[in-house]
Amino acid sequence: MTLPRWLAPTLFALALAAAAWRAPFPVAPAFVPPPPAVADPAPAYFSTALLPTAAPSAHAAALAELADGRIAAAWFAGTREGAADVAVWYATLGAAGWTAPRAIATREGTAAATLAYARKVGNPVLYAEGERLHLWFVSVALGGWAGSSLNHAVSGDGGASWSPPTRLQTSPFLNISTLGRAPPVALADGGLGLPVYHEFIAKHGEWLRLAPDGRIVDKVRMPQGRRTLQPAVAVLDGQHALAILRDNDTGPGRIRVATTLDGGQHWPAADALPLPNPNSSVALLRLKSGRLLIAGNGASGRNQLLLWLSDDAGKTWHTAATVESDADPQAEFSYPALLQARDGRIHLAYTWRRQGIKHAAFSEAWLTGDAR
Amino acid sequence: MNATALYGWLAHGVVIGALVSLLPLGGKHRLLGMAAMPLAWFSGLAALLHGFVGTPSVTLLVLAIWQIAGRGPSPLGQRPAWLVIGTAAVLYPLALGLGSFDPYAVGYQPWPLLLAIGALAVVLLRCRREDWLLILSAALAGYAGGQFANLWDALIDPLLVLAALAVVVGQLARRRTAG
Repeated sequence: MTLPRWLAPTLFALALAAAAWRAPFPVAPAFVPPPPAVADPAPAYFSTALLPTAAPSAHAAALAELADGRIAAAWFAGTREGAADVAVWYATLGAAGWTAPRAIATREGTAAATLAYARKVGNPVLYAEGERLHLWFVSVALGGWAGSSLNHAVSGDGGASWSPPTRLQTSPFLNISTLGRAPPVALADGGLGLPVYHEFIAKHGEWLRLAPDGRIVDKVRMPQGRRTLQPAVAVLDGQHALAILRDNDTGPGRIRVATTLDGGQHWPAADALPLPNPNSSVALLRLKSGRLLIAGNGASGRNQLLLWLSDDAGKTWHTAATVESDADPQAEFSYPALLQARDGRIHLAYTWRRQGIKHAAFSEAWLTGDAR
Repeated sequence: MNATALYGWLAHGVVIGALVSLLPLGGKHRLLGMAAMPLAWFSGLAALLHGFVGTPSVTLLVLAIWQIAGRGPSPLGQRPAWLVIGTAAVLYPLALGLGSFDPYAVGYQPWPLLLAIGALAVVLLRCRREDWLLILSAALAGYAGGQFANLWDALIDPLLVLAALAVVVGQLARRRTAG
């Protein structure tokens, strides 16, 4: 059977028009600017507690504040990192303390929902957006973490139930090597900017711009002269944001920096911070007072977890507190997550000796040494 | 599951069916290719491939359907195969981190890519390659239908590049044998 000559060009013209109609034409991006700085009047306090154990090995906590004020934590745990029984676990902190952890993402559930084989899961990221609680996590079918694909699920009831995860399309080559670690920031158009990273062959930070409906509308690389991972972002105004990155290159590391002055369209490298980074994850938070807070490991390695403060939008930094320190170089207090709740309380969650997740809550007065 | 996951799983079953139909199985190769599809879906093989290589492009899916349907020689001849390989040779290294420009990002707001495809369509029309015009139409329709966040993913994927490499290598081998 021979097709009429006009058919193929007509179908092509229709398909091209439909694709053009569907292609996004987003406005220039802008951040939701942070609210004006206000001092935190709370007195100095500091408390810590280990979260209930979910499995023998735990790592990579994430935090969010739910609409009702509860603090939510997610992390991955199993018999060991990368094991088939590793799941993403979830618990909330209310008046009665931490709830028992519940698995909210498993490799079996992810494989069933995406109709794609998954060998392991890891690296959860939480973000509360009104009543909606977002969860991003990675799944791997083949190889190590460099083979990760990014998945997304949403809860409308504070984490009690979750939508089936969907796999995001973020790479043309086997759709691998996009990982998340730090929470997104809100964009003025109702979308989100999600810091992610790539670690197959090259290692660098990336920025995913998500439309209000969750669709990816842009992807921007964070080029650095060195191998970097795990960007964490703080917004300084409507166009200006700071990203800090884990230094994954050889030699003594320092916390690497990228900044944007155009709402996330470009993330050129800036001077590294004068703060050590022994190839480990860092967390960044803009406090309600306008100060910036970093949690990360000291020069000795993951056996020391420190907090640094900046009073001048990241130009200078000083050590605010040592949260954990152990003379044993094998001890590990790592992968911090930071959150300031609406009540002003600052929350820190981190991997504690790989045996569990530890949570610390403190005030800014404790950080600045007032009454300490 | 969402529609993209379902598409990827189904398409991998078709790709596996097309691969089976390429095997030297006598006159039953097409029938066995069709029988391989449900086997791939329900044995877990399609899900395994989906996990390993991601969502197949519409281009690959149409070529696989063409193969199973036995509608004559595959449209993936020498020139299209070289175009696929050339595109992959630029796209993959840059997208994986070589240099600072990421061409894959263009596919999320694909206006330049749509212009390039429009220009390619003019060439195809002049060359009377209606088969590839229809394949590109299917890829664009797949993108327009929301199956792909990034237009590149509707057009090209690593399995398609492997198929193109097989075409080129096979042709070179035949020339060497003939020479």
